[in-house]
Amino acid sequence: MEELVIVGQIVGGKTAKILIREKSGEKIELGDLLVVEEDDALVILQVCDLSYGSQVPQSIRELIAGLKLEGYGTELSFLEPQLRNYVIAEAKAIARVEGKDVRIPKSLPSFFSTLRRVTEKDLSFLTKPPNPVYVGKVRSGSKVLDVDVFLDGVDVFTHHIVIPATTGRGKSNLVKVMLWSILDQPNFGVLVLDPHDEYYGRHGKGLKEHPKAKENLLYYSSTPIAGTNTLIVNLRSIMPWHFQGIVSFTDAQWDAIRRYYNEFHEQWIENIVRGTEIEGVAPRTLEVLQRKLDNVLGVYLDDAGNIQCRNRVFSETAGITTTRDIANALERGKKVIVDTSKLSDEAELLIGSIVASEIFYRYQSYKSEGKLDDKPVVSIVIEEAPRVLGSDVLESLGENIYSIIAREGRKFRIGLIAITQLISLIPKTILANMNTKIILGNEIAVERRAIIDSAAQDLSEDDRTIASLDKGEAIISSSFTKFAVPVQVPLFESYIEGSEKKDREEIVFVG
Amino acid sequence: MYKFAHISDCHIGANRDPVLKNLEFTAFSKALDVCVREKVDFILITGDLFHANIPDMEMANEAVKKMKEVTDKGIPIYVIYGSHDYSPNQTSMVDILDSAGLIKKIVKGKIVDGKLKLEFTVDPKTGAKLVGISARKAGLEKNYFEILDRESLEKEQGFKIFAFHSAILELKPEFLAEMEAVPVSLLPRGFDYYAGGHIHQHCETSLPNYPRIVYPGALFAGYPRDFEQSANGVSRGFLIIHFDDKVKAVNLHEVHVCDYLYYEYDASNKNSVQARKELLEELSQIDAQGKVVVVKVKGELSGGRASDISAHEIRNILTENGAIHVIVNRYGLTSKEYTALKVMGDDVATIESRLIKENIGAVHVTNEELKGEKGVKLALEILKVLRQGQKLNESKKDYMERIQKAAIEVLGLGEVFR
Repeated sequence: MEELVIVGQIVGGKTAKILIREKSGEKIELGDLLVVEEDDALVILQVCDLSYGSQVPQSIRELIAGLKLEGYGTELSFLEPQLRNYVIAEAKAIARVEGKDVRIPKSLPSFFSTLRRVTEKDLSFLTKPPNPVYVGKVRSGSKVLDVDVFLDGVDVFTHHIVIPATTGRGKSNLVKVMLWSILDQPNFGVLVLDPHDEYYGRHGKGLKEHPKAKENLLYYSSTPIAGTNTLIVNLRSIMPWHFQGIVSFTDAQWDAIRRYYNEFHEQWIENIVRGTEIEGVAPRTLEVLQRKLDNVLGVYLDDAGNIQCRNRVFSETAGITTTRDIANALERGKKVIVDTSKLSDEAELLIGSIVASEIFYRYQSYKSEGKLDDKPVVSIVIEEAPRVLGSDVLESLGENIYSIIAREGRKFRIGLIAITQLISLIPKTILANMNTKIILGNEIAVERRAIIDSAAQDLSEDDRTIASLDKGEAIISSSFTKFAVPVQVPLFESYIEGSEKKDREEIVFVG
Repeated sequence: MYKFAHISDCHIGANRDPVLKNLEFTAFSKALDVCVREKVDFILITGDLFHANIPDMEMANEAVKKMKEVTDKGIPIYVIYGSHDYSPNQTSMVDILDSAGLIKKIVKGKIVDGKLKLEFTVDPKTGAKLVGISARKAGLEKNYFEILDRESLEKEQGFKIFAFHSAILELKPEFLAEMEAVPVSLLPRGFDYYAGGHIHQHCETSLPNYPRIVYPGALFAGYPRDFEQSANGVSRGFLIIHFDDKVKAVNLHEVHVCDYLYYEYDASNKNSVQARKELLEELSQIDAQGKVVVVKVKGELSGGRASDISAHEIRNILTENGAIHVIVNRYGLTSKEYTALKVMGDDVATIESRLIKENIGAVHVTNEELKGEKGVKLALEILKVLRQGQKLNESKKDYMERIQKAAIEVLGLGEVFR
C-alpha cells in the first residue's frame, strides 16, 4: 500500500484562508487538493495562493543574498535552511467527506493538523450520474488523478453551461470531449453552431470518428463532404421573428416586414426581393429591405428575374424540410453540427435562430400537451456567445431566441452551452441563469472577476488559480457539484483513441 | 441534337379497380406514343415501372406489348429498379424483361475493396453514358451510395446521366418530410443530368455541383395521395430532354387520361349523424360526370364513430352522379370518443404497440384477457397473423383457412371452433 506522505501542517488562518506550512521537499502547487484526516471525516482543502515564509528577518536575507551575488561569500548558507525558510500555502476547505456524504465545511479543520495529498480513494464519492457527460479527470494542481468527472447531462444542459476562456485554452477540445461522451446517449439532442468548422473533423479527428456517428451525428455544411448534408434553407422557412434581436431594422422596416408577411405569408421574402409593391410600404423602405436581405441572406434578383443566393445557403426551391429535419433529429436525441464557417455572422445567427425557434416552440407546445417529459433535453452550443447574449446587443436589438432560451429554456428542457472569451459582456441576469461554468485559463483580470462573481461556488480566492490554469486545465463550478472541481480535460485525440469506429460490415450489391 | 425521355414511377399493376387499371395503362401507353411521335433516341425509366416485383400479369402483359412496339422502332428502354419492383435475388419482372432484351438495366458494377465500382452503359446512337443506383426496400440503397466510388464516375468524360430512385434530402417536398432520403453529397458530382424517381411530384432544380436534378413524378398514380394531388391540380407526365454535349432543354409532357374532381369536407364539431347527413346531401348536388372524384373527410367528430361516415355510401352517391371512380380518404377524420393518437416510435411495430396501449382503455370489454397488457399482447399477435400475405400458388380459400386457423389459435378459441 502506498504510504501517505505528509506535505504540510496547518499553522493559522481563517475560514477561506487557511495557512499551511509546506514540508521541505514537497512542492505544493496552486490548485492542489490536500486532505486533513479527522476522526470521522476527511476535509479536502484546495490551495489558492502560495507565498514564502522565513524565520530570518528580511534585512538579513537581503544581506546574505547580496554577499553571495557580489562574490563575498559563495560558501555562505543558512543553518538548517529547511527549518528557517519554507513556503506558506493559503488554502480553503472545499469539502467535508463523511463516507458518501459530502458537505460544504462549516468549521475549520483542527488547528495544527497535518495534511496529505488527496488520493483516488478520497474522491470515491464522485460517482457516475445517470446521464453522464464526461469532462475529464480530477486534477490536483498539475497532477492528474485517475478519477473521472462526469456531470449529469439532464441537470447541467437544462440549466445552461457557460465556458469562459481566452483563445487557445482548449474550449473546443472540451466541448468535443463532452459531445463524444454523449453521442450515443439518446437523452440529449445537441445543436452545435460551428463557426470554425472544428467539431465534425473535416480535416482531422472529430466527432465523425465516433462508432455511433452514422446513426447519431448529422453534419450540415454549405460545402458538404460525401455523405453529409447540404446546409440549405428554403426562404419560406424564414419568418420575420427569426430576425428578432439578430438583425437591426427600423420601426418602419419592421412595419413593412409585417405587412409583407400578412400579405404573402411564407412567401414574404420572395416578394420583397422581387420588389412586389404593396399598400402602406414606401418604395424607399422596400429598397432598403431588399438591400438588407441581400446583405444578410445574400439573396437578389438576377437579370432574368430569378431569385439567386450568393452563399447558396438560402434557396427558393431547395431546403424545404431542412429546419424540420434538424429539429426532428434533435428531438430524437441526435447531435447536429451546422458548419457556419462560410457564412456571415448575421447569417450564422439567423440560421441558429431559425432552428432554435423551431425546437423551442415545439417544446413549448409539448409542455402544454403534457408530453415534454418524454422528450430528450436539447442543448445549443453557441460560440462567441456575447454576439447574442451581450448587454449591448440585447439593449440595441432587443431579446432574441438565445436570450429567451437563456431565461426560459429550463422550463422547456432546452439549454445553451455558451462559449465565450468575454463573459463580462453577458449581463448578470443571464449569467445567474447559467448554473454551470467550466472555467478554463484566463489571463484577463476583468474576465476573471466576472467569472468569479457569477460562479456557483465562492471562488473569491481563486483569481490566481484561474489565471494559472494551463491548456486543458479547468475548474467546474456548478450548482450540481458540491464544490468547484478542478479537472484535467483530456486531449480529444487521446481521449478517443481505441474507441473509434470500426470498418463497416460487408455489403452485397444487387444492381 | 438528341432527345431522350425520362419517365418514372409508372406503378403498373398498382390499381385493382378495372377503371383505374385502364387509366393506368392508358397513361403508360400515351407516354410511349409521345416518345415515338417525338422520335426520342432512348427512354430512361427511373424505377417503379411495375408496382411489385411480380406484378399483375394482365397489366404486365399489356405493358410489355406496348414496350415491344417502342423497341421495335429502334428506341431502347433503359431502366433501374424502384423500391416496388426491386428484387433482392434479381427475379423481378424487370429482370425477366432485361434477360429477354426488351429493356436494359443500367445498374452494373461490383464491390472492390469495399468500394462500389459502377460501369457506364453507353447508348450506341447518342453516346450518352448512363449509370445509376437502383432502389432497395426502405431506403436501404443508401448503403450503396455510401460506398460508391464517386471519383471514377466523376472523371469519366462525355454526356453523363446519373439515374436513381431515392428522395434527395435537400429536395424533399413538405409532404414527404419524414421520408428516408439520401443527401445529395452521396451522388457523384458534375453529371449533366440527374434522373430521379421515387418522388411522385415533378420537381426540377439545381444544387452546387449538381446542375440539373429532375424528378418527372408519377406517370399516373400508385397511391391514394397521388390521386389527391392530381385532383388538386398536380399535372402528371414525363420529360423529354434535348441534348448534345450538354442539356439544352427539359420539356414536361403532360399525360392527361381523365378529369378529376376534389371535394373536401370538414366534420369538426358535428356528431357522426349530422356529418353523414350533411356530407351526403352536399355530395348529391355534385356533377361528377366522367370524373375520378377524390373525397377527403377530415376533422374531429363531437360524437359517434368515424366509421359512421361510410365510404360505401359516398361512393354510391357519386357513382350515381356519373363519377367513373371515387376515392374516399377518411384518415384525417377522428372522433372525440375514439381520438386518434399521435405516437412516436422507431418502427411500425413500436408505433402499433404504443397506439394499442394508448387506445385500449377506450374499448369497453368485460373479459379480463382483453384488457391492459394482456389485451395489448393479444392485439399485437392478432395483427401479426393478419399481416401475413397470400403465398405464391396458394388459393384464396387455402389462404383464408390458414389465417383463420392461426387467428383462432392466438385467441385461444380452438375448443370453441373444434
